This record gives sequence, structure tokens and C-alpha cells, in this order.
Amino acid sequence: MRLAIEVEDLHFYYVKGEYVLRGINFEIKEGESVVIMGSNGAGKTTLIKHFNGLLKPIKGHVRVFGKDTRNHTVAELSRLVGIVFQNPDHQLFAETVEKEIRFALENFNFPSNEIDKRVDKILRYFGLERYKSASPFNLSEGEKKRLAIASVLVYEPDIVVLDEPTIGQDAIQRKRIINVLKELIKSGKTVVAVTHDVEFAVELFERAIVLSRGLLVADGSVKEVLTNQKVLEVANLLPSQVTKCAWLLEDFGIPRDIVSIEELKEHIYKVLRG
Amino acid sequence: MSYFRITILKGFEFRKKDTLIHKLDPRAKAVYVIVMSIIVLMFTTPIPSLIILLSSFIIVVLAKTVKEWISTMKGIILLSVFIFVVNYLIAPVDKLNYAVSMTLRLITLTSIFSIFFLTTSPEDFSLALLKLGMPYEYTLIFTMALRFIPTLARDLQMIVDAQRSRGLELERGGAIQRIKKFLPILIPLIIYEIKRSFMVAEALEARAFGAVESRTYFYEIKMSSLDWIFSISLVILLILVIFSYITGTLPGWLFWKIPA
Repeated sequence: MRLAIEVEDLHFYYVKGEYVLRGINFEIKEGESVVIMGSNGAGKTTLIKHFNGLLKPIKGHVRVFGKDTRNHTVAELSRLVGIVFQNPDHQLFAETVEKEIRFALENFNFPSNEIDKRVDKILRYFGLERYKSASPFNLSEGEKKRLAIASVLVYEPDIVVLDEPTIGQDAIQRKRIINVLKELIKSGKTVVAVTHDVEFAVELFERAIVLSRGLLVADGSVKEVLTNQKVLEVANLLPSQVTKCAWLLEDFGIPRDIVSIEELKEHIYKVLRG
Repeated sequence: MSYFRITILKGFEFRKKDTLIHKLDPRAKAVYVIVMSIIVLMFTTPIPSLIILLSSFIIVVLAKTVKEWISTMKGIILLSVFIFVVNYLIAPVDKLNYAVSMTLRLITLTSIFSIFFLTTSPEDFSLALLKLGMPYEYTLIFTMALRFIPTLARDLQMIVDAQRSRGLELERGGAIQRIKKFLPILIPLIIYEIKRSFMVAEALEARAFGAVESRTYFYEIKMSSLDWIFSISLVILLILVIFSYITGTLPGWLFWKIPA
């Protein structure tokens, strides 16, 4: 299996000497699904901006499918790594939803018949087809968010990176985003998300990386990392409801490292049956 | 690639420091700026500018703002070169003297003004404007404009990052194409900032902005005896310089010219 992203001894600062990232090391394999978590100001967004070369390491290396980000333009790298930023208001600009989606395809020089095909397909997929000729600014917040995600997914980058995809979304919009990402992960895409949403993390992802003050403090399976009390405290996170429930039932012999509701159910049944 | 990282607005971010210069009343500092500017503009020889430049640097050191001062001065390098060349070309006589003097004038004036802005918080500045009779609504506009410069820079950076991530290449194409490429950046920026201004307006109204005619202030500025001594001695200095200038009793070396 190919390595999608390699981060090697990554150091970065915005203001000279004030390091935001202080020596980060990890690898993400193709097809993996990873959440990056950590308290505010831990360096999560700074880290993902290195994946398509928006930021270049001050020290260390970031490689995308073996390409060192220092030697490639943001446009070249973005073709491989699609990043969806947190706030759709920072990117929506076109007169119509359709044009908004065409933007990246045109920038990457897709042939025009291919563009039309892809635009229709993605609009249908995201349930936005009736807004095709509407202004993006008239959409609801949830629709704007989906449009922002669609406008990146449409060019099918090999790696999809999302910054806080579930923030400010109501339950239905959230479910919709989760379903889209679930499909994406199942189809074998490499998916990376920055999030504070533990429920979202345990529902979708295999692996969790936790940052704190520019250092990597945990890297492992979601089950292992997000049930570790110390790690959760460092990252200013609360355990998921399932994990919390398991912790409360510890005295009945239920293990502490449970994240899936199915697993919890089985253990509780076992206890009840005696 | 540093071209796309927006750092140019950093200089506007005022940082509070505990020094004598920061504690001076903004009005006293304004007197300093006015007096020194008048003196600089009186002479077309390099020595007076040089003296004021050096004295202003001493104030910069006292105010512990040498780093910020240097970055401000770096910002006028290009303009200084331009002023030097233009003055050298247009001066009829004493070309070198004239060009050097005019360039020094610019550098000195920048230094004097930078002292004011590097050591006066925007709040103090608008309080000073209030004391001088400007209506509160206008001073608030000024304070907020300064306050939102870093915010605007941050928004701009995020928009540039988001659009470059969707394949926008600002560095490619001809002149017209490049201008067109700024639309995906300008449109979200304008819309976002309009939205933000409405939010700010609502937040102000929610806190009863403009509810009463005359308002009181949490912070007040007051001329201390030190401020008065500082201001009055500056005014006396100015009167002395002007008086001796008119009567021709200034020492000759102040008028020393760089030989051609």
C-alpha cells in the first residue's frame, strides 16, 4: 500500500521563534481514515495546511505520495489533496451553485464535457440539484457547507481533508455529511478530518492523532486513543457517550475501551444474563 | 512563496508596554510630533534632521520599541530611494546636499510619527481626539477601523488559502487574467466583511450604543505634571528655534551643506 502523507520532524512558526508545530512525525497510508484532534490552538489547522503546500515546513518534511511539498506548487498538490476549510463563507463566490462547483474543475483543466457530467453527478449526490442556478449566498448554512464539500469532492482528489466538517450543523445536516464521508471512506479514499466532535470521530474513523501545543501526544486506533482518559484531558475533550457509559459501568466488569454502541450493548447483555 | 502570507499589516498591531513614553499623554506626544515636524521642515540642510532623528531614536530605545521601529523604517526604504533620486534630478544646485536632506526629512518624519503610533494605543488616541472635541461616533469609527485591520488580514488569508486549495493560481497568467483571478478572493472578502459589520453593529446596539446623549468613559486620560513639563519645554524649544532662525542667531554648523 502506498503512503499517502508522510510528515517527518515537522516544525513550523508564523512569528519567528514562536513554534506552532514542534517536531511532528506520522505517516498516513492510502485508504486510511484519520481524525486529528486537540484543543484550540494545538496546531491542527496549521498542520493540514501543510498537506497541500499552503504552508511549507520551516524544518522537516511533508511528502504527499512521495512528493516533497517544498518542490511542488499548491495547485499541483491540491489536485492530490482536497482541503475543505471550516467556513464556507471563506470560499463561496460564484453567481450560481453550478459555477461554484465548476471552479476547481476549470482550474485543473478538466475537459468541458467531463465538467458538465461531474457537476450534475455531484449536485445530485449532495441533494443540491434544485439549486443549480441559485446563488450560493441564498442557501442555508447546512447547504452552504455541503456545497463547499461538494466543490472539492467533485474533482476527486486522492486524499480528502476536512476542517471541522460538523461544526454548527444540525442533526440532519450532520447525518448527511457523515453519510457522504462514510461512502468516501468505504470507496477507499484517504480521508483526514480535523474535529472536536468525539462522537463524529468514533462513528467514522479508524485512527486518531492528538496534538497538544504543537506536539503529537497520541497516535493510534480511535478505540485506543479516544478511551484514554489522560489523552482526552490533554486534548480538552470529553469521552464519547458510549465510552462514558462504559466507564460508569466499570464495576460490572465492562472494559473501559469501548467506542461502539454495539460492543457496549453486547457487554451489558453479558452482564444482565449473568 | 512567502508572497501569499499576509504579514504587511503586522505593524499596526499595537502592543502595550510599561515605559515612560507609553505613559505620556497622547496630547503631549502630539505636541512632540508637531514641534519636531515643524523644525524638520524649516531646514534644507542635513544636520538638523540628523539631530532630531538621533533624538527620536533615543525615545524609541526608551520606549523599548526598537524592533517595531526597524520594521516600520524598512517599509520606507523604497520610498526613500525614490525621493533621493527624484530630488537629485530636479535640484538646480547642491544636488547631493538637497537629495540627502530631503531623504533625511522623510526618514526623520517617519521616525517621529512612528513613535506616536507605536506607543499610543488606539483607545488613547481616540480619547485624545474626544478631548479635542471630536464627536464620539467618529472616534469610534477610527478605533474600530484600526481594531479590524488584523481581523481583515486574517480573513483575507483564510480566503486566499481556501481558493488556492481549489486550484486558483494567482501567480499565473497575463495582466487581465490575473485581475480576473482576484474576483474569487474579493467577492467572499467583501461579502464576509459586510456581514461582519452588521454583526458588529448589532453587538453595539445590544450594548445600548447611542442610547444616551452624553456618555461617560471608563478610562480617562489626564495631563500629568510630567506631560505639561514635556509639552511646555517643547513649545519653548520651538519658539527659541524660530526666533533665532528669524534673527539669524542660529549657529552656522546647522546650515552646513554636503559639498558637491
